[in-house]
Order: sequence, then C-alpha cells, then structure tokens
Amino acid sequence: MNSTEGSRQIRKTVIVYLILTAVSIAVANIYAQFGHGVRSAAMTLMFLYPLLGGALFYFTLGLIVSRISDRRNYRLFYNIYNSGIAVLTVGSLLKGILDIAGTASGYVQLFQVAGWAGTAAGLGYLIAMVFKSRKLS
Amino acid sequence: MKKSLFKPYRWAAVLAVLLTFSFVFVLLDTFVIPKNVTEVKQREATEQQNTASEKQSAAEDPPESGSETEAAVTDHSYQDKNIKITIDTVQAYDTTFYVADIRLSNASYLKTALAENSFGRNLKETTSDMAEEHQAIFAINGDYYGFRNNGYVLRNGVLYRDTARQAGNDEALVIDGHGDFSIINENAVSADSLTNPWQVLSFGPTLIENGEIVVDSTTEVSQSKNSNPRTAIGQVSGLHYIVIVADGRTEESAGLSLLELAQEFAERGCTVAYNLDGGGSSTMYFNGEIVNHPTDGRSSQQREVSDIVYIGNE
Repeated sequence: MNSTEGSRQIRKTVIVYLILTAVSIAVANIYAQFGHGVRSAAMTLMFLYPLLGGALFYFTLGLIVSRISDRRNYRLFYNIYNSGIAVLTVGSLLKGILDIAGTASGYVQLFQVAGWAGTAAGLGYLIAMVFKSRKLS
Repeated sequence: MKKSLFKPYRWAAVLAVLLTFSFVFVLLDTFVIPKNVTEVKQREATEQQNTASEKQSAAEDPPESGSETEAAVTDHSYQDKNIKITIDTVQAYDTTFYVADIRLSNASYLKTALAENSFGRNLKETTSDMAEEHQAIFAINGDYYGFRNNGYVLRNGVLYRDTARQAGNDEALVIDGHGDFSIINENAVSADSLTNPWQVLSFGPTLIENGEIVVDSTTEVSQSKNSNPRTAIGQVSGLHYIVIVADGRTEESAGLSLLELAQEFAERGCTVAYNLDGGGSSTMYFNGEIVNHPTDGRSSQQREVSDIVYIGNE
C-alpha cells in the first residue's frame, strides 16, 4: 500500500464514520417519533461514539501519525478498535430502547464492558505499534 | 483461518453477525422470554385476614344493602350485599376519563391477579382476559410488575418479590388487611417488615398522601410525556375507593397529567391516591365490557399486561 492509498483509507474511514453519525442521529429521532416523544439520553447521545470515537479520532490520527494505515499491523488495530466503537454504539441503542420502554437488562452492561475493552485494547495496540516502529527507525 | 479473518470486511461481517445475535437476544430476553415463573400461591392466613377486615368494615361506611342473593346491575353500576360500584364518565382537560366509586364490606373483595396465574417476567394477558378468568366484576390494569426485575410484588397476602427499586425514592402503595392505603418508600421499608399487608403495588408516583396532593405540574413517570392515558386508585375512607382511568393519545382525548389526575382524586375526597401503569396499559373493565378506549397511540386494542387489580366475589 502506498501513502496515497493510506491517506485515502483514513479519509474513507472518516467518511464512513460521519455517515454512521448521521444514521445514529436519524435512528434516535425516528425512534422518538414512535415513542410518543419520549427520549433516552443513551439513544440521543449514541451518535457521539461514531462522531468522536470514529470520525474525529481517525481524522486526528491521520494528522498526528502520518501514513499510519501503511503500517503492517494497522489492520489488527483497525478491527479491534472499530469493534469496540461498534459494540458501544449498539449497546447505547439497546440501552435507549430499554430506557424508553421503562425497563432494564443486566446484559446492557456487558455491551459497555466489551465495547470499552475493545476500544482500550485497540488504542493500546496502536500505541505499542507506533512506539515499536519509532524504536526501529 | 487467522489470515482470512483479517481480510477486509471478514472481521466486520463476523462482528455484525455477533452483534445482531446479541442485540436480538437481549430484546427477546427483556420483552418476550418468560422467566422465573412460579405458580400463584394461596395465602394461608386468608381466614385470619378476612376476620380482621370484617371487624373493620362494621365500623365504616357499609354499602347500602341490596338483595341478599342477587346483584342489581346496570351498564354503569353494580350492587350486591358486599360490593357497590358506580362508574361515571367525565369530560375535562380535553380528556375523557372514567371514575369508579367503589364501596366494599370487606377488604378481601379488593383483589389482584397475575397473568397466566403465575408470577414471573414476561407473562402477559389482557386485563379483560384476566378479569374473566377470575370472574371479576370490575378490573383495572395493575403495575406491570413483570416488565421489571425489581419493585415489591405482594399480592393477595403473598410476597413474591422483595427487591426494592433502585432510584432511592420509589414509593409503593400498601393496602393492608383492613383495606386501608398507605405509602412506603421501598428503600426505607422492607417488604417483609410490613404489618398485615394484603396488596403492594409498585409503580407510582404517589398522587395524594395524608390528604395532600404531592405531585406538581412537572412530575412525570420516568420520561413520559405530560398528557397520557392513566390508571390510578385512591382511598376516600375505610373500604371506600375511587379508581380513575383516562383515555389519551387520541384526537378525542388528550390524556391527563399527573397533577390533573391528583386534582380529580382530591375533589372526590381521597386521602391517598397512587398512580398505576398507564399509557397503552390503561384499561377499565366492568361487567364483561371494556369501559375505556385502550390505546398506545397507534393501535386501539388492549395491551397485554402482567397483573390486574379487581373487585370480585370469587
């Protein structure tokens, strides 16, 4: 993969996350229409995961660590980190549905734990990857 | 295998399947799959409870005597020697609501029933089906205990769940063996410390306590909108009760706020009044018919609920 391709991949990731942000906002608003205007903070704010954890994060990453997506183990970080953000977003949607219905489930916490664990593991791997390559260079 | 998982989209596809499965499982577990099911138990001390209530009723406002053997029944009233019920339809606040005035000779006629005659999560039946199964004369939806994992459940003298709700200020309605209402804070009073409890309903909020309205115009149920279909029950005096069920979420009937509901109970002299499950659950059943127009704002039919409060001889 050359550097142009790497930049393109980061840009594509940012765009996909921006689309997911818009979808999250739309889902929360459509759900509120069917819930007699009742809203849940968990569902209303779920767009923050793809916006901050996705679009803003990758945009910043692309600026700070140039050609990060060219690194050999980038795909592993990418998969783990994105999985964490996905699990957090879906967990937030689920919590919102249960909140609006007026009930709860212990399983929602598992989504939070798994999501944050995935995100942290991804970030940890990213940091290790960056430092290792700096040592080598 | 490892390499194939790291090809673009493979990981995402596997994750999508896992997330979808988990998401659907949690929804089914929360809303559909019956759990912790136990059959309804009979209270061993029913006789004792009845005796206590009879003593109380002798001193209080007994219903007018009807026929000793037959009930006098109209479309809006019922009267026998132990039970007197009158239902009025009221139009106010751009809302239609139904007010039942109930007088009993004994607290044992104020009963509750659980869906499928069992205690458990996600067990549901319509109010009218449960009412018919128990030969109820009059019934309303209860607190929908089976939709939550906490909140006291004590019915017909039997304690099924003694787990307090988590908010810290959740209030429960206690109906004792004499048929008198009181309000407890679930975090301050344990279910098994109650003296001679007959029913405990865990929803709220309290509308009237010690004769005073305790809600204001900003009080709401969870994140509910202000005007809604409502179901609530109050006590005027010994064995004399008021039940109000309001239609809502339609062009014909907006629904009541909790303050409006409380004011209606106060006007009728209630010293204690308590809000039960509302919205699409709100249903009033009388003498084989549904009195109100149950709706969740989309479909006009009864919602299946987990419990009812009813008046019956059986």
